[in-house]
Amino acid sequence: MTSPRERLAAQQAELLKALLAGGDAPAGFDADRLLIEANVLRNKQSRLAAFLRPDLAEALGDRFPGLFREYSASHPKTDTIRARAYADAFGDWLVERGEVPKPGRRRRRRGTGGGGRTAWWRRNAGVGFS
Amino acid sequence: MAGAARAVAGVAVADGPGRLGIGIGWRHELDLSIARLPGVDWVEVVAENLHAGHLPETLVALQDRGIPVLPHAVSLSLGGAEPLDTARVEHLAEITRELGAPMASDHVCFVRAGGLDSGHLMPLPRTREALDVLVDNVKLTQSIVEAPFALENIAAVLEWGGAEFSESEFLRELTERTGCLLIIDVANLYANARNLGTDPERFLDEIPWERLAYAHMAGGVERDGVYHDTHAHPVVPEVLDLLRELRRRTDPPGVLLERDDDYPPDSELAAELASLREAVSP
Repeated sequence: MTSPRERLAAQQAELLKALLAGGDAPAGFDADRLLIEANVLRNKQSRLAAFLRPDLAEALGDRFPGLFREYSASHPKTDTIRARAYADAFGDWLVERGEVPKPGRRRRRRGTGGGGRTAWWRRNAGVGFS
Repeated sequence: MAGAARAVAGVAVADGPGRLGIGIGWRHELDLSIARLPGVDWVEVVAENLHAGHLPETLVALQDRGIPVLPHAVSLSLGGAEPLDTARVEHLAEITRELGAPMASDHVCFVRAGGLDSGHLMPLPRTREALDVLVDNVKLTQSIVEAPFALENIAAVLEWGGAEFSESEFLRELTERTGCLLIIDVANLYANARNLGTDPERFLDEIPWERLAYAHMAGGVERDGVYHDTHAHPVVPEVLDLLRELRRRTDPPGVLLERDDDYPPDSELAAELASLREAVSP
């Protein structure tokens, strides 16, 4: 027996899976619109990752969006990983693939005056907007 | 309707924040600009970017000057059908208390489902079922956040099938069943008109303006026939025109400019704030 709330939860999950994780297009949506929305989500996540890891954005230049797209399609962001950790996981994936060199002991991060601990307010800065 | 205290059976109708004026979305990248910009009556801050007990000094300095700071949440997923993450609501409640804010808010949307995080505000189906879920989540949120709570309309590029309400009807039902306030984002209204073909004037005709907390304004850009609500471009003239249309229907207690990227020089921000003020002047 499925409650209305459970049914809606399943529909919302199906939509996000289609948009973020290569799931089948759910019924009732325009196929072109799903593609546009998927791009909106991917671009927003990509800009956030570039903001949180400017070192990666600098190292990859124009290749950043394409590589982020490839990473996020195969590793969609879950609701248990914070934006900063997700950007770092992307960085680790780039290192594994040889796209960027292995970082030194301390990663250079934005807002830290050239290394060291990230100011607390930078750690999750750039959280979305309306 | 004088006093705006519409009696709704069993629902406490929240008081609005009162007269706010013209404000701007506070961002770390803009903190020094905001401190010296003329004509900033208040600011709104993304609640998820603040840590209780560690408010940024530049934000506290604004408060010391008597500038109200209102928290705005983006991650509660109030339209999400999975159980509400009350830890996020508790955080918003704590930030709201610490700021001494007259209200708090989030959006009519969901952002998490099935273990995935969209990172962006997702539209809800405008069905009775989805409204019931939203109402339940908003009531639970209101019981945790002690201040009046407001919900904002979002920009969408896709729509669910089977809508049983127009967007304005959906918002009206939401306010009637929860007593919540509304934040009307004029740029989102424009985006939906452009991208989904909704009628913005009809929307403005049908909104229960006595529930308005304030209006949001932001810039965007059109790419490949789709208007993107980027918050990284100037406010387009059409959105300013819609604000004037809103003003014909109500005197908004506040109007807020949101700028989240590609920050312009202070002079451009000041000019945008001045144009908002002009658009809502009597």
